[in-house]
Amino acid sequence: MGALTVAANGLAFAQDAEGTAPDLAQFPRNETVIVHNPEGIIRNPGWFNLWAVGAGNGTSNGLHNLTTDTLWFIDPDAGIEGASENAVYNSLADDLWQYNADFTEMTVKLKQGIFWSDGVEFTADDVVFTVEKQKATPGTPYNGAFSAQVAEVTAPDKYTVHFKLNAPNSRFHALFAVRWTAAWIMPKHVYEKVEDILTYDANPPVSIGPYTLHSFDPNGTWYIWQKREDWQRTAMGMIAEPKPKYVIYRNNITTDNRLIEIRNGNLDMVHDLTPEGTFAVVKDDPQIQGWFPGFPYAHPDPTLPMIIFNHQNEKFQDKRVRWALALMLDARAMSMASYRGAATLSAISVPPTGTHPRDYHAPLQDFLINYEVDTGTRKIKPYDPNIGLQIADMVRPQFGDAVPTDEAAVRNAFGYGWWKQDVAAAEELLTAAGFTKNGNQWMMPNGQPFAFEVMVPAEGVINRLGVMIAQMWTQAGVQATAQVDSDTWGRQRVGNYETNIAWAVETWGGHPDLSFFLDSYHSAYVAKPGESQPDRNWMRWTDPRLDAIIEKIRKIDFNDPKGIEYGHEFVKLHLEEMPNIPIMAYNVFSIQSNRYWTGWPNAEKPYANPVTNWSNGRYIFTQITPVAG
Amino acid sequence: MQGYLWFAAKRFVQLLAVIFFGVSAMFVVTYLSPIDPVEQVLGRLSARSNLSPEAIAATRAALTEMFGTNQPVLTQYFNFWSRLLRGDLGASLMAFPTPAMELVLRALPWTLGLLLTSTAITFVVGNLLGGLAGYFQNSRWLKAFGIVSMGLQPIPYYIVAFIILIVFGFLWPVLPISGGFAMDVRPGWTWSFILSVLQHSLLPALSLVLVGLGGWFIGMRALVSNIVTEDYVTYAELAGVRRDTIVGGYVIRNALVPQVTALAMVIGGVFSGTVITEQVFNYPGMGSLLVDAVNAGDYSTVLAVCTISIAAVALAIFIVDLLHPLLDPRVRAE
Repeated sequence: MGALTVAANGLAFAQDAEGTAPDLAQFPRNETVIVHNPEGIIRNPGWFNLWAVGAGNGTSNGLHNLTTDTLWFIDPDAGIEGASENAVYNSLADDLWQYNADFTEMTVKLKQGIFWSDGVEFTADDVVFTVEKQKATPGTPYNGAFSAQVAEVTAPDKYTVHFKLNAPNSRFHALFAVRWTAAWIMPKHVYEKVEDILTYDANPPVSIGPYTLHSFDPNGTWYIWQKREDWQRTAMGMIAEPKPKYVIYRNNITTDNRLIEIRNGNLDMVHDLTPEGTFAVVKDDPQIQGWFPGFPYAHPDPTLPMIIFNHQNEKFQDKRVRWALALMLDARAMSMASYRGAATLSAISVPPTGTHPRDYHAPLQDFLINYEVDTGTRKIKPYDPNIGLQIADMVRPQFGDAVPTDEAAVRNAFGYGWWKQDVAAAEELLTAAGFTKNGNQWMMPNGQPFAFEVMVPAEGVINRLGVMIAQMWTQAGVQATAQVDSDTWGRQRVGNYETNIAWAVETWGGHPDLSFFLDSYHSAYVAKPGESQPDRNWMRWTDPRLDAIIEKIRKIDFNDPKGIEYGHEFVKLHLEEMPNIPIMAYNVFSIQSNRYWTGWPNAEKPYANPVTNWSNGRYIFTQITPVAG
Repeated sequence: MQGYLWFAAKRFVQLLAVIFFGVSAMFVVTYLSPIDPVEQVLGRLSARSNLSPEAIAATRAALTEMFGTNQPVLTQYFNFWSRLLRGDLGASLMAFPTPAMELVLRALPWTLGLLLTSTAITFVVGNLLGGLAGYFQNSRWLKAFGIVSMGLQPIPYYIVAFIILIVFGFLWPVLPISGGFAMDVRPGWTWSFILSVLQHSLLPALSLVLVGLGGWFIGMRALVSNIVTEDYVTYAELAGVRRDTIVGGYVIRNALVPQVTALAMVIGGVFSGTVITEQVFNYPGMGSLLVDAVNAGDYSTVLAVCTISIAAVALAIFIVDLLHPLLDPRVRAE
């Protein structure tokens, strides 16, 4: 059997000129880390030009993780001690950004002694070229951003870059600050010789990171990167030495296969598993670790799954209705249905991860406990600060000692609290809003049944969460129908839904500034029904008070302590309006194996985001050590 | 002979018509898809960083121009046929500017290799055993095989594939569970490469064979069970014709006619890949390419895959139509 298979498969390599076959014997496990890249098959495997949009190349196959760099990095977690402040790393920049008084100009001092992998020195000319080239080239990722914002970019000297902006913008530096990717700096000496950069494959890529391309699969399923001899002449190398000599990124691995591969020692870092898969593998193999040492194991991503109401739909324009729908929900049931209890709850519109518990969740606890909602009949205090503790108690019989008992640890892992399920209060709110109840069916003020569709993704924890939410509303007399859709991202982008279960908040995580998501909540971004808008504020919520907060944030520096103050103002306005219902952090079951390498980040030593496709993860390679010498 | 040529000419015109209407229908379906490739790219971009409304509008305009999605639908349709007749299916939108055909040619050999082999095995073994089971209805071994086939048949394919994955990948990890060949093998006509490809194709092929065998077996057994009651079989037996001649020459050969027709359909379908197999075993073929292209709104690649699939199915049916009169005297008479 298989002669035909071989014959046919052989044809696949008519195009394999770029591919080389590595000899695995030259990758001893004490020198090699194997990372799971969550991308599928990379359709243009021999393409390494990150400055051509939609080129089908891999991104988190090591390319943006190991070979690129920009001015600053912000880690969603704490950052390496001593190398960062508030998780902000000066990467190619030598210091933080310097704005003029009205934020119309930005000056950046660059590090000296950084070299591209072909031996050419990195200078301010590279940054200037990056901006000007993309500004002039439609089809590059920052063409729109630079065209709209940059009036002029110059290099006053070899290591200084000066920007003049078209309008005041205190967050312009954010374009060069990595959360998981950013405006990577181009090697001018390479790209200035290329006539059309949109058709240039950059194979092999000239690297400004500490690794260069070793080899790759011509069928787009693995990449191997080798440490540069001169790794000290890179920004990452100036922080610490990356320990692995080789890093292998493997992609196109299904969830089941990832589980098997890490168990069999063929992966060291896995991006994501199912809750059940994680529980099984950590129980089966003591060398495998999650973020928390015990239950819930998962890392809270700086994103926030929530119930998103379409504010351009008349059914959801009364905040009493939105609050009523919130009070019909049971947080414990949502946590168990979606994450089997391994959820980190959040009652406010800031994810409980990175520095946010310190800056938002903990300081706002008293406010939340005393927060009152007027149902039209009475005032209630809807917040229950102990729901996280209750969920911990619920999962303890199954997971035993793996569940923490220390209250602070429980709150850290399961969240601080959420809204009590209070159907009576919800009914009072709906009644006050003019709704009536006919049997067990709520009717809208116009006499029609209160019925709507709840859009949920096709699979995963968010699918399970959405189905459970629709069931709870139905039990409370609202005709909510879970509608599974494979194109939820496309539909939410154009507002083609009634209620949507997804996230509309992504934060920096490791830094308290909320501009990353809040800026696109401004009413200027809200499109007409059916038209596309940026990938946030999918509820299309507009409020002059919200605009005012956003504009105040835009006028202060990124590190100004007032930013947290304005963030609190936003949280309070959000609570009052409940434009969407935040539920929990998007917990990611990223796991690592200590069989060959150890020193991975975790909740006790949270120096980096463990998710493998985030570029910030590069710093992990400076902290791990081989188990066997 | 002239009648046969006239018949073949008519069928050929039908073949062209089927391809034309099939491909046109696919064009309409992909055009009506709610997934916009420009918005997909924009979404990825704006999720990464703060882009102002002006920046998004400028990027959208540039991408629409690059992808050619700003043209009227009729222009796009005529351009599509014009390119197709020149063998050009346009640039992939998810791997711009790589030609969609290049992506297809990269994926097609894997799918063909895996599916043609497993289809050939299931067809030959399933029909042979089914034919024997229909003729020798008292054989215990064949009865047992029938029971196993009947038992496997209703199990969803995914479950069978998953069980194979767990057994041979986890409990008794003796075979690779991912990809088409090992990392340390260089593609080429070498024994190490051939063995590696074989090794990697064993589990997906086994899953396909296990599930596919039963269908052919049961179908053939039913056909043969009917044929053995025909007068000409009884007459041959009474006339003392050798049993292997009756089984092979009269019974199975006659029963094969509808099975060959079904085989043509299956082989035609091979060109669009087996989505679940490729997903479970991370096999780099046409099924996963099609799924990726649909999710990315990559019309060019979807159309490339579908055009090849439509042409393959139509061509397979055309060939069977031409062969039928040669195989079956009853069709020839008609």
